[in-house]
Amino acid sequence: MTGNEKRIKMSKLLIIDDEEGIRKVLSLSLASDGYEVSTAAGGEEGIEIFKKESPSIILTDIKMPGMDGIEVLKRVKESNPDAEVIMITGHGDMDLAIEALKLDASDFLNKPVKDEALSVALKRAEQRIAIREKLKAYTDDLENMVSIATEEVKRRSEFQNKLITSSNDGIVATDEEGTVVIYNKGAEEIFGYLRSEIIRKMSIYKLYPPAIVSEFRVGLEKRGDVDLSNWREVSIVTKGGEDVPTRFSGSILYGDGEVVGSVGFFQDLREIKRLQEELIKSERLAATGQTVAGLAHYIKNILNGLKGGTYVLNVALDRKNTDKIKSGWSMIERNVTRISDLVLDLLAYSKDRRPERENCFPNEIIQEVCTLMEAKARDNDIEIEKNLDPLVGEMFLDSKALHRSLLNLVSNAIDACIFDSTAKKKWQVTVSTAIEKNNIIRFEVADNGTGMDTETKEKIFSSLFSTKGERGTGLGLLVTEKIIKENGGEITVESQPGKGTTFTVYLPYQEVQKSATIS
Amino acid sequence: MAKKVLNVEDDPDIRTFVTTVLEENGYIPIMAKDGEEGTKKVKQEKPDLIILDILMPKESGIKMYHELKRDPSHKDIPVVMLSGVSKRTFLRSQVALTEFGDETVPEPEAYLEKPVEAEDLAEILKKILG
Repeated sequence: MTGNEKRIKMSKLLIIDDEEGIRKVLSLSLASDGYEVSTAAGGEEGIEIFKKESPSIILTDIKMPGMDGIEVLKRVKESNPDAEVIMITGHGDMDLAIEALKLDASDFLNKPVKDEALSVALKRAEQRIAIREKLKAYTDDLENMVSIATEEVKRRSEFQNKLITSSNDGIVATDEEGTVVIYNKGAEEIFGYLRSEIIRKMSIYKLYPPAIVSEFRVGLEKRGDVDLSNWREVSIVTKGGEDVPTRFSGSILYGDGEVVGSVGFFQDLREIKRLQEELIKSERLAATGQTVAGLAHYIKNILNGLKGGTYVLNVALDRKNTDKIKSGWSMIERNVTRISDLVLDLLAYSKDRRPERENCFPNEIIQEVCTLMEAKARDNDIEIEKNLDPLVGEMFLDSKALHRSLLNLVSNAIDACIFDSTAKKKWQVTVSTAIEKNNIIRFEVADNGTGMDTETKEKIFSSLFSTKGERGTGLGLLVTEKIIKENGGEITVESQPGKGTTFTVYLPYQEVQKSATIS
Repeated sequence: MAKKVLNVEDDPDIRTFVTTVLEENGYIPIMAKDGEEGTKKVKQEKPDLIILDILMPKESGIKMYHELKRDPSHKDIPVVMLSGVSKRTFLRSQVALTEFGDETVPEPEAYLEKPVEAEDLAEILKKILG
């Protein structure tokens, strides 16, 4: 059925002729060929039927009373330029035929219309219709494809746009002059400038830090090849003057071999840096927690000392024994010092401390430390030797940190001698200073005490580890290392069992500051 | 006649404390700051009792105790251990020494873990010395 309908539709014919005989003959012969044929006796009627039925092929006599064939042709072509109009011409219609050609008539049939000529003309008309339809289908298809492609291009561009705008990374693109043309939200967050302040208004030469500006300049001005593709850390100064650590990668953009612009990608490292710091802090707290038991033991000893002190003091007061009052009181004092040292160590270890730099004489600090340790050393037949470089003058550095670290190291060195069981050794602790290159001062604390094996040496900086049993907290070296690192310095250790240990501290210093303010 | 008590101890605070406890309870205190000095004082002073620490520089309490108990002229002096080291650890250390061929030694008369109360120490001394 569908096929038939199609055929019928494809082959609608309209015959317009004022001679009834011709109409009849043609319509009979064509209907039997399978065409759906309508007829009209004149131009006016023909046009009416044409409008109603929209036949694809019209056969019209050229000479008719009223509206003639030429007029029919005009009107048909006006309303449907694709309609196939075949003109039926008689003798002497040559002028009209030429006019019809001009008006885009499809074909001519001479009267009397012969079946053969008719079928050839119709076949040609049908072929033209078929070709046109095919062409139309192709065109439609092409238009469709173009619109799909356009849609796709639009979609991709929108996608890229979205990608750029929604990227967490800061993306900045410029034209070949270095003027910013793309600047996304991520970039706003890193640079602190709004899009409206930047796009087409600012040059990256002003926006970017000097470290990368020079490379972009070389690339954009075609003065050489630059490779910006490797990710590297770059510090950005924001609109508000804040330093933002970022990871940066970029590229010079080329189109047809010409520089067309540049692009820079910036990843905000603030959060990562903050998390890293927190991780270190929490690891430190965890280490503190692990050895709470060890600390409790140490604190118990201190309490023991305090308790003993009060007992001695009470007895002394009852007996009115002044010497005993003194020894009881000094017991209490010593233990109060131990507990306050412990608390300071714990605070120093668990909290961040900013270096407090001031003008000071490092050699004098060493003298102070040695004086503090002198009594303990003498009681245990240990000699403290000082080997101080006279070139070490007044310097601008964190004197408190220095005092604390050296006190820890000298105290450790003395303990290493005390616990050395080698008989008849002449124990010695040597403290030295020296100036190194690049504004670095070197401190060395050496002893010839017990020394450490490799296993012990590996543990000393990594955990709350003590070789001193109940006498140590294991905090001393950790605190020492931490405060030296906070001051940008470094601490190293050399040790041999039975021979002794040497700790070396490298600390950067600044020249004396005229207006001695804390930096 | 008042009895002599030797305290071998490296911590000066504990020496002061023990000295006071001894004086308060009518004993004569003698002090030594490590095992080496302690052994010397045992010979010199012939104390009636020894209060002995374990972790000390030079000679430890572990070694001093072992040698003391193997010396026929000193093995009958009662010893009170006063240490932060637990009794079990101390006894194990004495057993360990026998594994190197040394003969076994008896356990100490008393074992006190630090911290010790003045009354507890006095009570132990009284029980042993009468």
